[in-house]
Amino acid sequence: MKGHRKNAFEHPRFAVVGHPNKGKSSIVSALALDDSVQISDTPGTTMKKRSFPLSVDGKVLYELFDTPGFQRARRVLAWLEKHDVPANKKYEVVQAFIDTHKEDERFSDEIELLEPIMEGAGIIYVVDGSQPYGEEYETEMEILRWTGQPSMALINHIDETDYSKEWKKALEHYFKMVRTFNPMQASIEEHMNILESMAQLKEEWIAPVKASIKLLQQYKDQMLERSASMVTRMVYDSVSMVEKLYFYSQEASEIEKKKIESKYKDRLRDLEMSTQKSIEEVWNHGHLKKEEKVFRFEGMDLFSEETASVFGLTRKELIITGVTSGAVTGAGVDLLLAGHTLLLGGAIGALIGGTGAYFGFNELSEVKVLGQTMGKRYLEMGPMENRNFPYILLGRAMYHTMKVAQISHATREVFDIEMDQTFKEKWLDDTSRKSLEKYHKKFRSGKALEAEELKSYEKIIKRILKHLIDA
Amino acid sequence: MNIKSYVNLYELLKINPSTPDENRAFGLTHVMLKNKPIEQLMSWVNEHKHRLQQPLLSETFSSYLYRVTFALVVMAFILGVLAGVGLLSYNGHEPVNVIYFITVVIFFPLFTMLITLLAMLRAANSQSVLVHLSPAFWMEKILGLLPDTIEENIKTLKINPLLANWVVIRRSQIIVLFFSLGLLFSLLGVVVTKDIAFAWSTTLDINPNALHEFLHAVALPWRDIVPSAVPSLELIEQSQYFRLGEKLDEKMISQASKLGEWWKFLAFATLFYAILLRVLMFLLASFGFRLALKKSLLAVKGSMKLLREINEPIISTHGKTRESIFVANEKHYSQTVSRLDASYDGIQGWSIPYNTLLVLADSMQIITPEYFEVGGINTLEEDFEVISKSQGEVLLLVKAWEPPTMDFVDYVIELTKKVDKVVVMPIGTAENHYETNEKEIDVWENKLSLLDNSKVWLKRRSVQSLSGGGSK
Repeated sequence: MKGHRKNAFEHPRFAVVGHPNKGKSSIVSALALDDSVQISDTPGTTMKKRSFPLSVDGKVLYELFDTPGFQRARRVLAWLEKHDVPANKKYEVVQAFIDTHKEDERFSDEIELLEPIMEGAGIIYVVDGSQPYGEEYETEMEILRWTGQPSMALINHIDETDYSKEWKKALEHYFKMVRTFNPMQASIEEHMNILESMAQLKEEWIAPVKASIKLLQQYKDQMLERSASMVTRMVYDSVSMVEKLYFYSQEASEIEKKKIESKYKDRLRDLEMSTQKSIEEVWNHGHLKKEEKVFRFEGMDLFSEETASVFGLTRKELIITGVTSGAVTGAGVDLLLAGHTLLLGGAIGALIGGTGAYFGFNELSEVKVLGQTMGKRYLEMGPMENRNFPYILLGRAMYHTMKVAQISHATREVFDIEMDQTFKEKWLDDTSRKSLEKYHKKFRSGKALEAEELKSYEKIIKRILKHLIDA
Repeated sequence: MNIKSYVNLYELLKINPSTPDENRAFGLTHVMLKNKPIEQLMSWVNEHKHRLQQPLLSETFSSYLYRVTFALVVMAFILGVLAGVGLLSYNGHEPVNVIYFITVVIFFPLFTMLITLLAMLRAANSQSVLVHLSPAFWMEKILGLLPDTIEENIKTLKINPLLANWVVIRRSQIIVLFFSLGLLFSLLGVVVTKDIAFAWSTTLDINPNALHEFLHAVALPWRDIVPSAVPSLELIEQSQYFRLGEKLDEKMISQASKLGEWWKFLAFATLFYAILLRVLMFLLASFGFRLALKKSLLAVKGSMKLLREINEPIISTHGKTRESIFVANEKHYSQTVSRLDASYDGIQGWSIPYNTLLVLADSMQIITPEYFEVGGINTLEEDFEVISKSQGEVLLLVKAWEPPTMDFVDYVIELTKKVDKVVVMPIGTAENHYETNEKEIDVWENKLSLLDNSKVWLKRRSVQSLSGGGSK
């Protein structure tokens, strides 16, 4: 009998094992932040063990294994118990079982789940705390005890009923640690707490797993920053977008005017959609089948009145924003001229800003006919003149990103985006609105964009997103 | 770093030639460039430039810029020479009024430089009026209308307005510089080839003393080095020319040889105000252009993302391999019973305790001579013993919520070898009054369909409905 245990200096490994259909894959999916894991109600969905390493620049810090469930546990235990060996030799018997039955299809699932354990992985035994405890589980736990590897149990709650107490009593007989973890609702803190527990399984795993926890926090921050950057770019590109349509008659027809408007809107919709997709990929939700339309605003078009009422500013809010930002610009002129304008700059700026906001409430952008004198005539639409539009776009982006960031990677159901009339209050306060308006004005103006300005806007978006996601 | 670098970066980011992994690998192999974003971008461009389509758009664009600039410079120089010749035109009857030349070589450059400074301050605006005032801007527009001067791919290039404005500002300085060189060239040429009598004349009430003071101040930059290039009060007095009287002042005629002395002042004024200051403006414009280029490089769509990919560690939690797609075997099992018989030859419970079996049989009012607990913590030998005792029709109760394992399948196969019929009946939890749900039953149905055994039947309804007499 030869042992295959890996060198203790290698990264920690954890095999998630258990009875079939008890949520092993859901737990792996949530812990690995990977939605590519197949999860279903049908037992036996996981047929082969699969590794999920946490790596930084290719260096693996720890590795999780998703494994198939026990199928013939009693037969395996019967084989092991035939060998009367002292405790320190038991793992060799398990290894012998693997070596002997490698080609035996009857034990393919057991081999798949025992192999990573025999290679040094810690055991995470998963049970469903919403179903009653059964003695048949003891066979599986006994086999795991034979491997001699450090182990812990995770009580998963698939349904609402709670049998955790009876499970705990039984599991504590076999496992050093018993923890509860709901992969569908686990917060970042709970995720980190489970990792902390996993670190305690073996002394030499404490440092690498703690480093992993730090790294995961950095990873979350990275995802937040990337999302903020994508939202920023989308708002800038949308607001500054210009659509052109050449025409060859003397005057542009109504059909051509409608056509350019429709093309302009479609481009904006596409931009929003592609940004949403990229954000889903950033948060590792990109593997979802697209026909599920998991995070789409179904039946809520970007340009619909419903969208404007949920995500946009009210006319009053827009006017206040316009007045304030106009007044700030005007006050700048007053300051520059040392008050010689009798503070008229501020007043005029406020008036212009407020009036602009009032008129800019409904229309998107004027359709202009250009190039008449040069012989080439074309219609031009954009940049976006509607002052409400950036807030609508931002509101939808914030909502979408918040949902994507909060939803568990174990979720496989169609996700409904519910209308939330109070959402705007959650993300947009007066201070943020004032800061954002300054940039929206610049985006509209067509002025050259500086990376630093985009960075500042991105910072505001990141702050708001962080607040929303952590709330 | 030049405009070519900008165009190359713009083009490369459009085709996205490298993966995030490759970009991070680039960052790790160029650690000395860390925290130097511009250098990182330039180095990245150099590494991936070969992936761009030949001829490079940057080369085409740069060559176009060079050609247009060269054409404009030549035109400006010729214009300068012609303007100079016109301003210094001397027919031998009237002296040349230096005021015209002074205006063109001192006031005009100072005015345009002021406009340039304002344009520099407002260079970020995409529609800058001050930039549009530049002859370079319009002459290029006119050249652009000529056939075949601009290639199609250059038209599609969208340059950051800040950078585009600085290109115009910088180029305007070169053009005006050559215009001034043309002026100087014509001045020297005319001075060498003609004997010109310079004078000054104005309708304004300016006396020679005031003009002397003014010119003395104007000549400040060179008056200590070349004193002869500063007109003296005497020269100014002698060269004042009054239009009235038709004839030249006699004193003026007697001092005619001295009137030519003005050329030195005019040459130095051109050299300093029109040329040297313009060179300084050009250097300032070049500095601004470089700054704008740096800002524009960072503002190219995708450059911040690229820098992030280069500098941030790649953290991955993904599975190493793709999982083979699991196809659920949702077969319909035809051998189902809707109503249980009143008696069975035996009731067995798969991982269900003996006492629970008694309770269940009683609640379902089923008569049976034997109850057996199988599976669970039984040994395989114990199960075989139960099988050996089994006969006739057996009701096999199973926990509906526990999915059937291959251990169960093995048992049922062995059992069917001994008995005539096995009715598998999934039951729910006691808390749920042994009620089951459709999903659980479906799982059992799928498993039994894999067995494909004519002796195995599935009871689909719950204990409660059965006791209530309902049937499917």
